[in-house]
Amino acid sequence: MADSICRTLRDGALEGELAPTLTIKDSLASPFAFHVFSHILLQLSSHVIAQKSQSQGIVIVALSRSPSSYTSLLKMNGMDVASSNKWIHILDCYTDPLGWKDKARKSANVTDPSQQISLATSSYKTVKDVDKLFLVIAELGRGLVGENKARFCVAIDSLSELLRHASMQSVAGLLSNLRSHDQISSMFGLLHSDLHEERAVAVLEYMSSMVASVDPYHHSADGQKRCLESSLYDQNFTKGKFNVRFKRRNGRVRVTCEEFKVEPGGISFSPVSSVDGTVIAGIVPKVQFNLQLSEKERIDRSNVVLPFEHQGNGKPIQIYDGRRSLEESNSEANPISSGKKEDSAMGEIIYFRDSDDEMPDSDEDPDDDLDI
Amino acid sequence: MAATRARVSSFSRNVSTVTSQNHGLKHGPNGTMFISSGIPDLDKILGGGFSLGSLVMVMEDPEAPHHMLLLRNFMSQGLVQKQPLLYASASRDPKSFLGTLPSPASPKGDNKSSDLSHEKDLRIAWQYKKYFGEPQLNLNTNNVYYIAGGQHDYCNDFDLRKPLDRHFFSGNNVDCVSIKDSPNLTALQDCCAGFLAKFSRNEGSISSAGRIAIQSFCSPQCKYSNEEWHMLSFIRSLKGMARSSNAVIVVTFPPSLLPPSCSKRLQHMADTLLSVKAIPDEDKELAKLLTGYQDMIGLLNVHKVARLNTQVPVILEATTFSIKLQKRRFLVLECLNQAPVDGSSGSSYGTSGGCSGSTKAGPLDF
Repeated sequence: MADSICRTLRDGALEGELAPTLTIKDSLASPFAFHVFSHILLQLSSHVIAQKSQSQGIVIVALSRSPSSYTSLLKMNGMDVASSNKWIHILDCYTDPLGWKDKARKSANVTDPSQQISLATSSYKTVKDVDKLFLVIAELGRGLVGENKARFCVAIDSLSELLRHASMQSVAGLLSNLRSHDQISSMFGLLHSDLHEERAVAVLEYMSSMVASVDPYHHSADGQKRCLESSLYDQNFTKGKFNVRFKRRNGRVRVTCEEFKVEPGGISFSPVSSVDGTVIAGIVPKVQFNLQLSEKERIDRSNVVLPFEHQGNGKPIQIYDGRRSLEESNSEANPISSGKKEDSAMGEIIYFRDSDDEMPDSDEDPDDDLDI
Repeated sequence: MAATRARVSSFSRNVSTVTSQNHGLKHGPNGTMFISSGIPDLDKILGGGFSLGSLVMVMEDPEAPHHMLLLRNFMSQGLVQKQPLLYASASRDPKSFLGTLPSPASPKGDNKSSDLSHEKDLRIAWQYKKYFGEPQLNLNTNNVYYIAGGQHDYCNDFDLRKPLDRHFFSGNNVDCVSIKDSPNLTALQDCCAGFLAKFSRNEGSISSAGRIAIQSFCSPQCKYSNEEWHMLSFIRSLKGMARSSNAVIVVTFPPSLLPPSCSKRLQHMADTLLSVKAIPDEDKELAKLLTGYQDMIGLLNVHKVARLNTQVPVILEATTFSIKLQKRRFLVLECLNQAPVDGSSGSSYGTSGGCSGSTKAGPLDF
């Protein structure tokens, strides 16, 4: 999915649409968002150099890293820094974001040793003024790609730092202005999600077309557990899960998950198949009834012993029809003899029918004999 | 229908004058009037459309743009029927959104099918041929209206791939307001009050019906989006103004970006409350579970339906509908149909086949 993200940022915005925007979230449990940011920045840089992307330049808004770290990052990955001035520009909001060094320098008259930074860098010293920041970014981008229809990409290396200096409304306004700017091809930014309240994170997710979340490999809620299991701790510190929610143009959401591993040379991604079963349970309304029996239900139903007389218990069925049969007379004779012999105190009532020829439940009316 | 027939009854007032003037209105129960939402299926679900004088709120999904589909069809329907429109959004140039409104579909196919059905009827009952003269005249009237540019229908089918003609929204019927740079909602409130003053309810007749569409209210880039009570007061006053005028107001807002109490208050203030939801893409389990998953783009939930002049609530047969694009052009809402279960599989828990019927219109009660 990281390749798909880079591809989307490379292809950029369609005519008349908002620019694709990526927000990379991480937390203290898995603090590798900057590795992902660097990976995407390097991929996009190679596309810009090869002129395969829609954007012809990159403006990096440096808020949490110094411009020299970006210089060393590009050098380390084999890019020619001397020719990078044509396509990359760093807006330095890191060295002196609020203009305090200028005030200190004026009062003390201290000469500041100028650093040798070979990348094109501009300083910005009023980070609280986000509207002016938007104008400066647009101006730098226009300087890179010219006044015509060429586009550039914007990378903000810490939205958390920006939220620290400015309010949520102004940061959201900045992102909205950048997305709807004609010359901006794509944007990506970094966010430490556990530094802010949920509403601020929700706002930035709302304004992004792609949300990438850097999660720990093994989720351990208890810090004490992590100390005990050192192997899991080591795995959490070098591996992790990379969850991406990709808002597609037809209104659907593609959710994918990848594993990443932090190596000395950078970061690498490998696919992991994951089925998101929780989403289905929330979306589909619950079924009210079952029309069929499952296999287990069918077997259980056949095993139930019903207490009905006609089913019997294996013996031949005897239904008393009112007539004395031979077996019954034999069985009745026995207690008589046993009663006589033992001379027990228990008594029995023995009933003998007057006539065996008489049919039970006769239809004859006894009153027919009356001569009335 | 071509024109709403006036109800002749001892319980209702004779409103034939209204019928002859406004073709975008429909009579509902208890003396209410409806205007169309722009989606035929949504009109059926809600019992006729949006009640005149009501506030419709649509809860956005943070990941799906489906609220804009509802808003576009609502705005297009008003413009096609020459109803005045006020549109407010948080973008810098709200007029550019008018270029994305869909165009009504051409009614030629419908006319052919209706002609064929009429011929069949005439063959079956030839002796009643003289009584079918009026429908043909009505068909001619429909054609005349279509040539004039406005179809004489209550609700159109909108082709999402064809933009609306420019002459529909280049006139004086449309007002656009940007709420991005204003520090508070006072300017928008004044615009709405001025717009709704034209549609004040008179005892005589309804001259016209107005439509107000506010997109992404309390967007995070607006300066007022931290002032909860200011936004709630605005919606409350908007609802009061709408109730005393012949207009419908549709407001979309993202509930996940608001504090929960503010979000709940906004939901309770709505007369009609809808919400849209995104579905995951290329999900195999969901494709097994739902019929027609390939055409679905999202889900629509109907939480509340406006009921004016009565205390009887609307109880819908189904509240969750799938939003589909028919032939990738027409917006269609369907009840969720579970996919039929394979007979050879043994497990039936949670995956039983159950199809719910089509939703009936709201019951009429006197």
